[in-house]
Amino acid sequence: MSTMSTRSAWRALHYSAKRRAFQPSPYRCFSCANRAQEQKPDNDRMTHFGFTNVPESEKETRVGAVFSSVAASYDRMNDLMSLGIHRLWKDHFVRSLNPGSCLPAMTADQRGWNILDIAGGTGDIAFRMLDHATNVNHDMETRVTISDINADMLAEGRKRSLDTPYYNTPRLNFVEANAEHMPHIPDSSVDLYTVVFGIRNFTDKQAALNEAYRVLKPGGVFACMEFSKVDNPILDGIYKRWNFSAIPLIGQVVAGDRDSYQYLVESIERFPSQEEFRGMIQKAGFMIPGQGFENLTGGIAAIHKGIKPIVKA
Amino acid sequence: MSYLARTLPKRVFTPSLAQSTRQTRALSTLQSTPTRTKHLTPRTNKPRHPLPHRTYHSALHARLPDHSYTNSQTAILTSALSHVPAHGFSATALTLGARDAGFLDVSVQLLPRGEFDLILFWLASRRGLLRGKVEEGGLFRRIAAEKGKDVHELSVEERVRGLLLERLRMNVEVRDVWQDALAQMSLLANIPISLTELHALTSDILTLSGDDAVDATWYTRRLAVSAIYASAEVVMTRDPTPDLVETAAFVERRFEDRKALADKLTGIGQCAGFGWNTAIGLGRSWGLKI
Repeated sequence: MSTMSTRSAWRALHYSAKRRAFQPSPYRCFSCANRAQEQKPDNDRMTHFGFTNVPESEKETRVGAVFSSVAASYDRMNDLMSLGIHRLWKDHFVRSLNPGSCLPAMTADQRGWNILDIAGGTGDIAFRMLDHATNVNHDMETRVTISDINADMLAEGRKRSLDTPYYNTPRLNFVEANAEHMPHIPDSSVDLYTVVFGIRNFTDKQAALNEAYRVLKPGGVFACMEFSKVDNPILDGIYKRWNFSAIPLIGQVVAGDRDSYQYLVESIERFPSQEEFRGMIQKAGFMIPGQGFENLTGGIAAIHKGIKPIVKA
Repeated sequence: MSYLARTLPKRVFTPSLAQSTRQTRALSTLQSTPTRTKHLTPRTNKPRHPLPHRTYHSALHARLPDHSYTNSQTAILTSALSHVPAHGFSATALTLGARDAGFLDVSVQLLPRGEFDLILFWLASRRGLLRGKVEEGGLFRRIAAEKGKDVHELSVEERVRGLLLERLRMNVEVRDVWQDALAQMSLLANIPISLTELHALTSDILTLSGDDAVDATWYTRRLAVSAIYASAEVVMTRDPTPDLVETAAFVERRFEDRKALADKLTGIGQCAGFGWNTAIGLGRSWGLKI
């Protein structure tokens, strides 16, 4: 009993400490003149952080604070918010990509895929892909680099990797990096670039897409799963109501952090539609297979793909 | 003209009709003065505004491409086809094709439907080849020579049969794996596209054979040829003869059946017509006001 109470007290302290980093002032009103006066009217370019506008330089730290705050309860919260459907989406995503070669390699270059999982801190997608490559395609060479801007999410992923057979093997490694600028990854070195429920939070999405184009080998695939726009108005109504009423509440009750989940639903609302995002992928230079995206659960999430073209010499 | 205007209901008498009536009247009154008629001619012959999009078929329209795959997709699919006899219409064949075309293993993501894209590409490209053979002109000459006839003596029916068999012979190299392909095509999600492709093939076969029916038989002919082709494909997968002799015999029998069925239907139709006419006549002779 006493240990329980100490633990919960500690957890409360722990979370509030995390939150302090995220919120410099306890005051966060979206349509308030005070806030507008606070913002410096300098020449700093603005971007959106949920429904509020913040200077571009500030978005990174704010998003960082959100994810530091949610890292520990990430999986439990995802299950509650999506009613478990996020696991189906992620399984489908990995299965449709079919990572790993089931055929013997002809050249050294074909030996295993080099996968870069951006914003995959907790390793959700990375472990699934390694499992698929190993168990389905019997490919022991395919390797995943998990890259995340947030050290807390990476720490969570490292902790989870202890339970997988990939811990401390060359098939899995963790890198803390900003996806808009990755000088440590050479040009044309990656087979598959994935970003799952992450690109929404990037300050400059187009820069991240251009960087993806740079690091991918010709013929390499950019695959992205992200929340998108629901096309059925009835489902959309229910979905919006769930997003804006239930999710911040669940966040408050379960993770003790309402603001981070308020940001989450606002950032979903601000993300471009399927067609707009496909245009951005094309603008980065990718070829689009078929219609370019696949809607999941009526468009709540969508899988986008692009292939880097081969330049014939 | 004025009589016509009077008898027509108001809403039919649209401005365009009014204009044409006026023009006709002008022409009729001016017929005696050829110089002015000449002056009028360009106006009446003025080309109408071309419609932006026509939904009907015409032999004058440019032909649609056989398939809508991009260059990179076609490169992968073309090299994958060479692996089909060994590996079937499978993901393995696609991956090998991607490697041959200089792509990575992961590049098969270019084809969202996977193996089914390979099957569709096979169907569409063979259809294009068939058309190419006919347009070269050699195919019908060969079919005619086999029957000991001149090309011009070939009937539409004989041409249809010849083309159908020619298309079936194109499948010889993949016939061992074709049942897998048929299974893929019969999956619920794939049925609409498969049927569209079957229709495109039969439509091509009939058009190339010179079938120019524009009545209800347009549909029945396509249905009949589709049914014969689809069933012959199944027979082909179990045909052990090297030159598909058994399949050819099967196709012959089906065409005979079709003819017999058509004769029967015509007979039934005629019989019903006679019966109806007799009943009417009988009724009239009894004084009914029919």
